[in-house]
Amino acid sequence: MDTSETKKLLISSLNTDADPIEASRRLEEEGISFDFSKGFKDKILHKLFSAGLTINREVEFMKSMNFAFYRIALTGVAAIVVLLISIFLMEGSLSFNSFLGISDSYDESIVCLLTGN
Amino acid sequence: MIKESYSVTGENELVKASLNGDKEAFGEIVTRYRKMVARTVKGMLGDSVFAEDIGQEVFIKLYFSLPEFRGEAKLSTYIQKIAVNLTLNEIKRRKRFFSMFSQKGNTEMYEFEVADHDTEERKEASEIVNKALMAMDTKFRIIVTMRMLQGYSTKETAEILDLPIGTVLSRLSRAQEQLRNILKKL
Repeated sequence: MDTSETKKLLISSLNTDADPIEASRRLEEEGISFDFSKGFKDKILHKLFSAGLTINREVEFMKSMNFAFYRIALTGVAAIVVLLISIFLMEGSLSFNSFLGISDSYDESIVCLLTGN
Repeated sequence: MIKESYSVTGENELVKASLNGDKEAFGEIVTRYRKMVARTVKGMLGDSVFAEDIGQEVFIKLYFSLPEFRGEAKLSTYIQKIAVNLTLNEIKRRKRFFSMFSQKGNTEMYEFEVADHDTEERKEASEIVNKALMAMDTKFRIIVTMRMLQGYSTKETAEILDLPIGTVLSRLSRAQEQLRNILKKL
């Protein structure tokens, strides 16, 4: 097959009505095929089963880190929710002053509190 | 050496045996799906040593994610999804790297290796495909790889890429247009 025919085959293989399996088979027949080098499988098996212990440990470590992160994040969110509920129950609102604990204080009393007079 | 019996074993049995640490069973999975992974990875990254590394990474990731494989989808689809994700991540990583250090275009990021034992015509055909694919936008290249090299239907392509069928069809049509323009220049 010459170059122009190869190009036509490539373009026609993308037609929506073309049979994709047939098109890919024809391309393979024309030498358009892909594979990894010799020893590909052995390299993978060596990495997995010889150095497998190290990789396994790394994966386990990452999994536990992930788990720990979620636990900490969830605990944090729960603590914030409890804090918000308790502020709302004690102060009766969730205003900024309630957060600071000064919702019942007048401006003068805050000045007195800060200056000590 | 692969056990004789594994060459005819079903994929679920191979997965179970691999989960039990059976090296030969996992070796059989690699043997069965290496060409499929090669088409995706080399179709997307070019025929280079980097593609070999990503190919290995695909199977290593598969091995460690086998406990999560429930057998609801075909193993080939599961592997294909891993291959697509790792390849797209690699392309993103390379784009970031090259945008920092170089102004070169995509096509210059890859090396091509054509097998010596191929005839001149076959070499030429492989080179045309490699060059055309590398000149395409990533979003079109992945569609072309799935359709042209893997022979997947529109529905299968949509499932693997997590895209609506309509999007796959429209990208397929635009990919064909882009491929036509690229091939004119080659």
